[in-house]
Amino acid sequence: MKRIKILLMAKKAGIVTEPYPYKPVEPPEGFRGKPYIDPDKCVGCGSCASVCPPNAIQVVDLIDKGYRRIELFIGRCIFCGRCSEICPEDAIELTKEFELASKSQNDMYQVVLLKMVKCKICGRYFTTQRNIEKLLKELPKDLWDTILVCPECKEKSTAYTGSYAKR
Amino acid sequence: MTVNNDILKIFGDYVIKAITIDNIDYIEVSKDKLKETIEYLTKEYNLHYITSIGVDDRPLTRTLRVYHVFSRVVEDKFIVIGCSTDPHYPHVDSITPVVPAANWAEREIRDLLGIKFRGHPNLERLVLPDDWPEDIHPLRKDVPYNLRSVVEVKVTYPLKRPREHTVLPVGPYHPLLHEPEYFELYVDGEKVVDVEYRGFHVHRGIEKLGESRLTYNQVPFVAERICGICGFTHSTCYCQAVEKAMKIHVPERAEYIRSILLELERMHSHLLWIGVACHLLGFDTGFMHSWRIREHIMRLCERLTGNRKTYGLNLIGGVRRDINKDGVKKAINVLKMVKEELKRFIECLLSLKEVKARLEGTGILPKNDAWKLGAVGPTLRASGIKYDVRANHPYAAYKEASFSIPVYTEGDNLARLLIRIDETLESISIIEQLLDKIPKGDILAKDIEVHEGKIGLSMTEAPRGENIHFVITGKDNILYRWKVRAPTYANLPVLKVMLKECPLSDAPITIASIDPCFSCTDRVIVIDIKNGVMRVTSFKRLLRCKI
Repeated sequence: MKRIKILLMAKKAGIVTEPYPYKPVEPPEGFRGKPYIDPDKCVGCGSCASVCPPNAIQVVDLIDKGYRRIELFIGRCIFCGRCSEICPEDAIELTKEFELASKSQNDMYQVVLLKMVKCKICGRYFTTQRNIEKLLKELPKDLWDTILVCPECKEKSTAYTGSYAKR
Repeated sequence: MTVNNDILKIFGDYVIKAITIDNIDYIEVSKDKLKETIEYLTKEYNLHYITSIGVDDRPLTRTLRVYHVFSRVVEDKFIVIGCSTDPHYPHVDSITPVVPAANWAEREIRDLLGIKFRGHPNLERLVLPDDWPEDIHPLRKDVPYNLRSVVEVKVTYPLKRPREHTVLPVGPYHPLLHEPEYFELYVDGEKVVDVEYRGFHVHRGIEKLGESRLTYNQVPFVAERICGICGFTHSTCYCQAVEKAMKIHVPERAEYIRSILLELERMHSHLLWIGVACHLLGFDTGFMHSWRIREHIMRLCERLTGNRKTYGLNLIGGVRRDINKDGVKKAINVLKMVKEELKRFIECLLSLKEVKARLEGTGILPKNDAWKLGAVGPTLRASGIKYDVRANHPYAAYKEASFSIPVYTEGDNLARLLIRIDETLESISIIEQLLDKIPKGDILAKDIEVHEGKIGLSMTEAPRGENIHFVITGKDNILYRWKVRAPTYANLPVLKVMLKECPLSDAPITIASIDPCFSCTDRVIVIDIKNGVMRVTSFKRLLRCKI
């Protein structure tokens, strides 16, 4: 008699296996899938790279070409979504995409290239053009002179004026 | 009288420091009196040994340190007994003769920090592979976390095979056990006479990583990957330890969310185990049904946290995602359904006399042995000892829920099955209570101040037993020391008792009955798999497997 109970239980449950992959599966709302960097919004600040636990996002300055390269490697990604949480421009979003298997390794990368600008004192590339545009929008006009100066040169010049003031 | 005063009175001159921080009594004694102090304490107070921690304190005080951590059973208090030793002659008295449960922890410290323990009965390698050089101790601060090139050293691994018995190797890769570990069963006919365990094949160096490369808020994401099943409890435990060390007040709502997810995790972990147990008994229908019911919980977790395994939710100071009204409603519906289905399934499972016959009276763990060897979690409670971190040292929102702790006195495999079934049903009731009265408010603490050199200690009740994280905060947003002790680490040594005199056919279910999770246990070291010597060792092992 006891065994019949198991049969009844199985009958009631029916077939629970889903016919995936023949029928696509829709992940629930709030699912954290493959991250996507919006290349039109990204300003290249690098917050995402510094917060990423597995170092899936790397920011490299291509000094000779004058570009900043933001590279997201899905192979390392743990889909925690810290990057999208921290991004000041809301440029990163976690999509619902989860079928990531691919025959080509290139599919595992997303690269964003941003044009950089030179420091007007030392002439080195130091930040992205888009970052400067953003600062121009946000900062008052009297500070515009200092925007195009790299942090090191800024430090030097404030050190100089500081000592000058003391005298 | 407090423990500190008591110790000061008796060992006055030998006590270097005795302070109390929150619920931790911290006592530092001279290393000559370490053993006596612990002998006295364990005799006078009802202490439960948790773990031992070695710290390389050379950059700060030019000493190597050992901390022994105990918890008090009757009240919510921890006792940490520390002592320091000269790094040029690192010798400390072993406490294993007094507290047998400290056996593995001391061997681990010897491996990783090079502190030798005088009077230890079996000071062999535990964590490091046999071909690791004698003089490199990975958790010392001067060893880089990404150390790769290691000198070739040949160490012979002594085989402790009793001549008259047959050796039956189980592992390192075995279809029965889903993770790499190695059991050497000594059998006499059909009876298991003795067992040796050799594990730690998949060390990942997580502790070292947490101390060198990751920042405070990155560690939870690694911590939850210590275990493939009970990850949330690890990240919670880590966050709680740091929160305690830095005195961060966690919003109430966050604590509720943590507790709810911890219980969901316990449910899916226990259901997984029940399934595996059925599978090992040859009752695959049970396996299928248990996992079918488990799937509802996994889907619920996915809906609530964005990930099937509740990954990526904890941060220091709270949680990252709120449970909205929809989520609460969905959770209540799912739990109701699961409760019904589970009850029906359990009724079927327990009414089968084949299942009962295989479980009843096999793999018995007597109460005394369980306590002495430091078993934890369901394994301990199935042997008649009522000790549950959720009740004895309440954390998160467990104070707000009323729940009973199932205890069985038989100590056999059936008791361990029944405990897990009862706990699963109890978890449903806890979640329902917490969902009912979850308070409104923030979910993440703001304005977190970072302090250096603070000690934090936290325990959580993982599905497999108690789980402990010990942290010493450091500078530059990086931990100075992070020690993890997963429950299986404490439960494995008791297998020796359980397997003795048990028929060979019962060995698999007995090994599985502690719900072993080898990944949790193997978490400590930087390993180089590619060096030539490793190949020699595994070849030897392979040869032995062919016997």
